[in-house]
Amino acid sequence: MTSESGTTQPESIEFEFDGHRVHAESGQSVAGALHAAGEHIVSRSFKYHRPRGLLCMSGRCPNCICTVDGTPNVRICTQAAKPGMVVKSQNAWPSVKFDLLRIFDKLHRFMPVGFYYKRMYKPRWMWPVWEKFIRRIAGLGTINREHGAEGVYDKQNLFTDVAVIGGGLAGLNAALAAADAGVTVTLIDEQSELGGHLRHDPDLAESIISRNALASGSSASQPDASAFRLISLSDLIRRVSEHPAITVISSAGVFGCYEGNYLGIQQGQRMIRLRAAQVIVATGCWERPLVFENNDLPGVMLASGAQRLLHLDHCQFPGEAVVVTDNAQGYRVANQLKAAGTRITAIVDVRDNPPESADGIRTFRGHTIISANGSRHVSGAVIAPLAGHPKQTLSCRWIVQAVGFTPANSLLYQNGCKLRYDESVDQAVVIQHVPSMYSAGAVNALHDPRDAALDGQHAGLAAAESLRSPRLCGETEPSIAEATQRRGERKEDSVPSCHYVSPSGAKKKFVCLCEDVTEKDICDAIDEGYSNIETLKRYSTVSMGPCQGKMCQSASIAICARHNGQSIAETGVTTARPPEQPLPLGVLAGRALHFSLVRRTPMNAWHEKAGAKMGDAGNWKRPQVYSSVDQEYEAVRQRAGVIDVSTLGKIELRGADVVKFLEFIYPNRFANLKVGRVRYGVICDDAGILLDDGTIARLGDDRFFLTTTTGNADAIDSWFRWWLAGRPEWDVRMTNVSGSYAAMNLAGPRSREVLKKLTDADLSSDVMPYLAASECQIAGVSAIVLRIGFVGELGYEIHVPSQFGLHVWEAILEAGREFSISPFGLEAQRVLRLEKKHLLPGIDTDALSNPLEADLPWIVKLDKDDFIGKESLARAQQRGDRNKLVGFRLSEFVVPDLASLVLCDGKLGGRITSCGYSPAVGGTIGLAWVPANLARNGETIQIQVNGRMIPAVVQDEPFYDPSGSKLKS
Amino acid sequence: MTTQRMWREHELQDQYDVVIIGGGVHGLATAYYLTQLGVRNIAVLEAKYVGFGGSGRNTAIVRSNYRTPEGIAFYDLSVKLYEQLAADLEFNVMFSQHGHLTLAHNEKGVTGLTERANTNQLMGVNSRIIFPEEIQRIVPDLNVFGHSRFPIQAALYHPPGGIIRHDAVVWAFARGVDRGGGHVHQKTEVTGIEVQNGQVEAVVTNRGRIKTKTVLNATAGYAGLISKMVGLEIPIETHPLQAAVTEPLKPFLNSVIVSSTLHVYVSQTDRGELVLGAEVDDHASYSLRGTLSFLEGAATHLLELFPHLANVKILRQWAGLCDMTPDYSPIMGGTPDVKGFLMTVGWGTYGFKAGPASGFLMAELIASGKTPPKLEPFALTRFYEDRLVGEKAAASVSH
Repeated sequence: MTSESGTTQPESIEFEFDGHRVHAESGQSVAGALHAAGEHIVSRSFKYHRPRGLLCMSGRCPNCICTVDGTPNVRICTQAAKPGMVVKSQNAWPSVKFDLLRIFDKLHRFMPVGFYYKRMYKPRWMWPVWEKFIRRIAGLGTINREHGAEGVYDKQNLFTDVAVIGGGLAGLNAALAAADAGVTVTLIDEQSELGGHLRHDPDLAESIISRNALASGSSASQPDASAFRLISLSDLIRRVSEHPAITVISSAGVFGCYEGNYLGIQQGQRMIRLRAAQVIVATGCWERPLVFENNDLPGVMLASGAQRLLHLDHCQFPGEAVVVTDNAQGYRVANQLKAAGTRITAIVDVRDNPPESADGIRTFRGHTIISANGSRHVSGAVIAPLAGHPKQTLSCRWIVQAVGFTPANSLLYQNGCKLRYDESVDQAVVIQHVPSMYSAGAVNALHDPRDAALDGQHAGLAAAESLRSPRLCGETEPSIAEATQRRGERKEDSVPSCHYVSPSGAKKKFVCLCEDVTEKDICDAIDEGYSNIETLKRYSTVSMGPCQGKMCQSASIAICARHNGQSIAETGVTTARPPEQPLPLGVLAGRALHFSLVRRTPMNAWHEKAGAKMGDAGNWKRPQVYSSVDQEYEAVRQRAGVIDVSTLGKIELRGADVVKFLEFIYPNRFANLKVGRVRYGVICDDAGILLDDGTIARLGDDRFFLTTTTGNADAIDSWFRWWLAGRPEWDVRMTNVSGSYAAMNLAGPRSREVLKKLTDADLSSDVMPYLAASECQIAGVSAIVLRIGFVGELGYEIHVPSQFGLHVWEAILEAGREFSISPFGLEAQRVLRLEKKHLLPGIDTDALSNPLEADLPWIVKLDKDDFIGKESLARAQQRGDRNKLVGFRLSEFVVPDLASLVLCDGKLGGRITSCGYSPAVGGTIGLAWVPANLARNGETIQIQVNGRMIPAVVQDEPFYDPSGSKLKS
Repeated sequence: MTTQRMWREHELQDQYDVVIIGGGVHGLATAYYLTQLGVRNIAVLEAKYVGFGGSGRNTAIVRSNYRTPEGIAFYDLSVKLYEQLAADLEFNVMFSQHGHLTLAHNEKGVTGLTERANTNQLMGVNSRIIFPEEIQRIVPDLNVFGHSRFPIQAALYHPPGGIIRHDAVVWAFARGVDRGGGHVHQKTEVTGIEVQNGQVEAVVTNRGRIKTKTVLNATAGYAGLISKMVGLEIPIETHPLQAAVTEPLKPFLNSVIVSSTLHVYVSQTDRGELVLGAEVDDHASYSLRGTLSFLEGAATHLLELFPHLANVKILRQWAGLCDMTPDYSPIMGGTPDVKGFLMTVGWGTYGFKAGPASGFLMAELIASGKTPPKLEPFALTRFYEDRLVGEKAAASVSH
């Protein structure tokens, strides 16, 4: 029996549905409570606004979608009722009980399939008017701007030998068999308790034990009888739960199987990423609805839905019911309803000679349902023989349908398994698994509990076995042959009826409940030429709604096949894609409030304390300015300043072939770089496009220390690794030390005097001239010191281990106090470097800039052996420059916006990339791309500023210290 | 009401004046405009069904606020053709011009957008920089002033941009071809192209051989394979591009929102679904499977823009193939090496929005034998002559 038995008296809770109070038992679903309260219209359909009631009770159909506590589009059949919950119906006006938009249902004649493609576009201005109207009535739930962001989410990463998906009979047996074979197993099940559909089909659960007794006598199909045992469901669940090698994840759905058996699992507000060596799909089936007239009326239910209401939500079905069926399930549910007090008007069995019978219930054999009567709820059922005549009407409040299943096989499809529709079982079955994936149970069309259990055991053993000797693609799979054989044996007593659509020419026979697509719509679409199943889907919108085809895929394919005169197998299926069930964005995003990492340098706290205005540089926080750009500028030019450059990318290269590698990566020369020297370099791609710049210091024969720009640190790391990956024979060992070193740039005429106080090393220009690289102690810390000058002054770039970054930073500021040193930020640095015409890759260059045109022709050494971009650069040099990056001065006192255009005779000539007021010049300076013929010293260019043309003069020389004497002092 | 078929099935003729490989928007548009120019003995060959490839997988954004004068002129023509497409083809392709916003979250972003706005305006395209207050007015649900890791600083606002019903465009063009006398052959796969003395002579398919002097390669994902059939190497790398769609919600978002800093873009269809995507996958691949990391990234970034959508559910994710060229611009036109072999390929992530313009101009090229000026910058030879088009800089998430 279900596990609810034996628990304490359920306490009563209260929630709100569309403004009135509804009582629920604790543990009951919202839908169950509404059913018990007699609220049978819970939603309105997407297009025609027809009343809709509960159907599947398993979270698969679209019928019970409501807004719960402000969250739109919640399926209330799988949502437990909670005290004080506010549930509202959707897509209805003024209310779900009385919806004026139901007028569309009466107007359906004017809205045939795809009608919107054929209307509303003439004259052209009409479409925007219509569209406004459409956008007012489209969609389901309403989002609430004040609500939705407060959820707490989290993520978990797990690993397992075998993942078993589905906690029904097949899954439980698979898990146990695999675990007993000595591997670790993770069992994922979507329900709160194990047992699969047996949870709501107690008769079936009990039948296992009796069947077991029967089976033990004649077990011809069992290859090794001793290996397989059937035990009762409760014993099975207990053994699985207690097994030390099995982890059970309940109330969790596997929404995707991604490459490499990487499973995405949603468990409430948590996402679990599970990497499994082997995956067993034991996801079972869901029941499919029959297509007949008014089949969407409240009161029409799936048998399993009715069972869930009966056994899990303890509801009743007062009044009369008609059960339509073609299988044993229909008889079981009829008996269960009868036992719960429902009067069964009749069982309508599609089959002429069913093996089942029901005592005391009128049974119509060879019959089916033609239509449901009623306007807001079922009041009767019209039935007829399969030929369609003669019809008779049975009075009833409920129509319960048990006419077959759709296998939950999307994870198999997602992972690339091959399936084929098999008419003998009326279901797609696997004909080839991908390696490391298995399927078991009803998804293999094994609906008999004993078959499902044995199939599960087989799959569990096979999965455990293949951990020892992996199966190869294309290898014969014994499990498939096994399943096929077992299916064959069951044929006689369960030939499926392949009954999808009842015979009648009625118009309101709904195939797709999400989108209100009828049988007629599908046939019309095919007649118009949309005969391919995928095209049909996109045109008719069948299976495009919230249920993604779970309710309608089987029937739509069957109708498509019939109408095209093809078989179901020929018709094919639409592609299965994740997520298997709708998946909240919050679950995918996880817990982070700040969705991007924040990176802070070791000196960050100091900057903040000093009142720096911090800004984003990629993920980094960097000081923009401390107090005044002018003062910081002046300190650097007159005395000394220090800037935190810890964000630079830093790479250490060691090995005998590093020189060869550098020669290959950079357009300039490194073979002649002596130990103790540093050199500027740019990196180009194959097309000769400038990607990044930085410095390369040679600290030893085989040891180099490189820097990249902040923004390109990761890209250059990848770039190096990409090129190294193809050269395994080269002795180059690469370490990304970006985070390991803090760095600061001490610059200004007094910087040598500042640094001298912190080191014993000889800093004189003879020993440590411009472009020297040395390793020495700074403030007691081992440091790499590079004498370079981005800002155009005597300067030192000092790299120290991160943990000493703050110490050295503070030591420098302390040592510099007597020289009135100042920290400086990016804004000052930008002016300082602009005065030197030093470009910033990515700002002053773009995806078309090569170093020749970017004013760095000296850096390209075309007489070198091959290097990345050499051919392109050689060609570019041959054809001459087309555009050039130049410095310019404005005579007018304005600072144009960056990206202002350079125009030549009204046409686009180029653009400004950097611009600012230069204290050294006493006016506006900048860098701009201009046509090569204007790139001459003294040439005038025209810059568009607020619609006005402003002249500027091109200048070849740097704007500050053109000879570089300060740099080299 | 009698049912009219959208397109008819035909026997494969053994000769066509023009054979177009690929039944997506580019192939069908070219065929349609050819019939308009009186070239009617033509066939479109589609290996699967019309709209199987990129035309059915893209996110249907149409805009012309590109970066370079070449790109802007080209896409401006496309927007204008799209505006009249419903009337031309008598099929409502539902072009919703509700505006397109590209967000900038840092100074570099603002600069890049400013440059585009300036160049757009110079070329007569309606596009301008707007700032947070106006952004909030246009998109009330957007997190402009709330907490954010990278607050929105400005946006490039392009009012004529918007979304279109992409399948409808494909079907309408297919019907137009059919009505104009051309043949649309589905389930017809090209297996070879015969070339003699540097001239195309025939196309070989799984349904038979077709004699023809003119072949247009209008494929994506397989563009390199088709070109190799005539011995031509083209500089294309194929990357998957992924997208996802949510359940339907009452429409609240009219504009297309793109953020390259956050690697995400989103729009809301007339059915109420949110369509979201990101940039192409890092690594070249032909996989159409889709990844979990894409979903996680797209969701994370979308929630930074719209935090209150955390409970909104994804219904479906998918992937398409994008043929990327080195300069993120297409290759259109012929090649001096093989006469009669033309291509409109390398459409990366910007193919659908170009369909009508590419079709219109390719048809003109085929019918007249002369390259229209708007096509010149996109010739294959630009890669040999170092005349790349500078769209890459503006392209990272360029939907």
